Amino acid sequence: MTDAREHLDKLMQELRRGTITIGVLSQLSEPQYGYSLVTLLGEKGIHVEPGTLYPLLRRLEKQGLLDSEWDTNETRPRKYYLLSKTGKEVFDLLVVEWKNIVASLDHVIGNEGDEGYGDD
Amino acid sequence: MEMIERYIYAVTQKLPQAQRKDIADELRGLIEDMLEERTGGYPRKESEVEAVLLELGNPRELAEKYRGSKRYLIGPELFDSYMLILKIVLVVVAASEGISFIVQSILEPFAILDYFIDFIVSLVIGLPMAFGWTTFGFAMGELAGGIKQKDLLGKEWNPSDLPPIPDEKRRIKRSEPIVGITFYAIVLVFLAFSSEYIGVWVFKNGFTGVVPFLNEDTYGKYLLLIFLVFGFGIIKECLKLVSGKWTYKLAINTTIVNVVSMVAILFMINGPEFWNPTFMSELVNAGVVEAGTEAYDVVAKIWEQTTFWMLILLLIGLVWDAVDGFRRARKK
Repeated sequence: MTDAREHLDKLMQELRRGTITIGVLSQLSEPQYGYSLVTLLGEKGIHVEPGTLYPLLRRLEKQGLLDSEWDTNETRPRKYYLLSKTGKEVFDLLVVEWKNIVASLDHVIGNEGDEGYGDD
Repeated sequence: MEMIERYIYAVTQKLPQAQRKDIADELRGLIEDMLEERTGGYPRKESEVEAVLLELGNPRELAEKYRGSKRYLIGPELFDSYMLILKIVLVVVAASEGISFIVQSILEPFAILDYFIDFIVSLVIGLPMAFGWTTFGFAMGELAGGIKQKDLLGKEWNPSDLPPIPDEKRRIKRSEPIVGITFYAIVLVFLAFSSEYIGVWVFKNGFTGVVPFLNEDTYGKYLLLIFLVFGFGIIKECLKLVSGKWTYKLAINTTIVNVVSMVAILFMINGPEFWNPTFMSELVNAGVVEAGTEAYDVVAKIWEQTTFWMLILLLIGLVWDAVDGFRRARKK
């Protein structure tokens, strides 16, 4: 059983790596700073480590999907991220792709289940 | 909070200079936010700071995530060839030094301590030098490969782009460049560290000395050129080893390397001070030939013409090497 857990952990890590990007992009039509994003995603059931999120934000910014701005007016300076124009387009396309994947996988998994019942 | 700053430093010092300040500021904000959530405001305890830092994880891993891709001086594609050549070069350098030490000690056993010190010194100089140049060569190769890959990224790949399996005759056996590298390295080591032994060895009731071919006084000046010539030779053999088959590109590259070597050799050998200017009189002094005899004239003539014939031989060798490369590249 612990063996299965280990495999699951590894596979889940790979699976999350891609989905987190979608989650992040989905929340950034309004400007957010890193930690507010951690909280926001957490509330919606997507748990992401700050140590993963912060480098990811920076990478997305470098790729041109996000714009950023430092806000120095608050008690502590914070870097806010926001979808760029390209980022917005990419996100919309990504959502379509994601829905396709979900539909296909549902189909595949569902079919297997049906066959299982048939054998009984 | 000292520990926070230490953490931030540990992360950012492993990142490119240009990003450090920005990432440090952002991390500081993050840690403050995390602490605030944990304590709900002041006062904070050292243990809580530690808990937050533990949550963020090992700074080395965090820095790695910020860097994204790993960076190489010599990437995994070239690494095996690099290790192979590095081993050859280091073994050859160490072995040739050892051999020349043994030969010197046999010829002049009374000076064995001096020779031993020379041996150690030349090892200390020679091994890092061999290591450095080999690594430098491969790093340059890696750099060139990286640039080329970037060029090719945009182009679409076609199955018809697959290179044909090279014909037996175009294939370069691994042993060929390895022997070449070994040869160049051995000659280079002897030229660099034992040049005084290149000449006519005089034996009269045992070994009495060497009449050198080369001019000891000016030799140091030429050493750089010698390194250049043999270094290029080694680069040429490395190109062959990495390529594994004769192609026009490889043939062109070896030709370029050969031309550069040729220019350097011409420059050296044509310089009046390259050869030992008192070679003939030293031979007479050593009692090998007697002045005024026919033998003397013959030896003198041979000595004078050496430069000319060496040039011709080298030219033929290098041209042949280049022509042979093209000939073998053409074979389908």
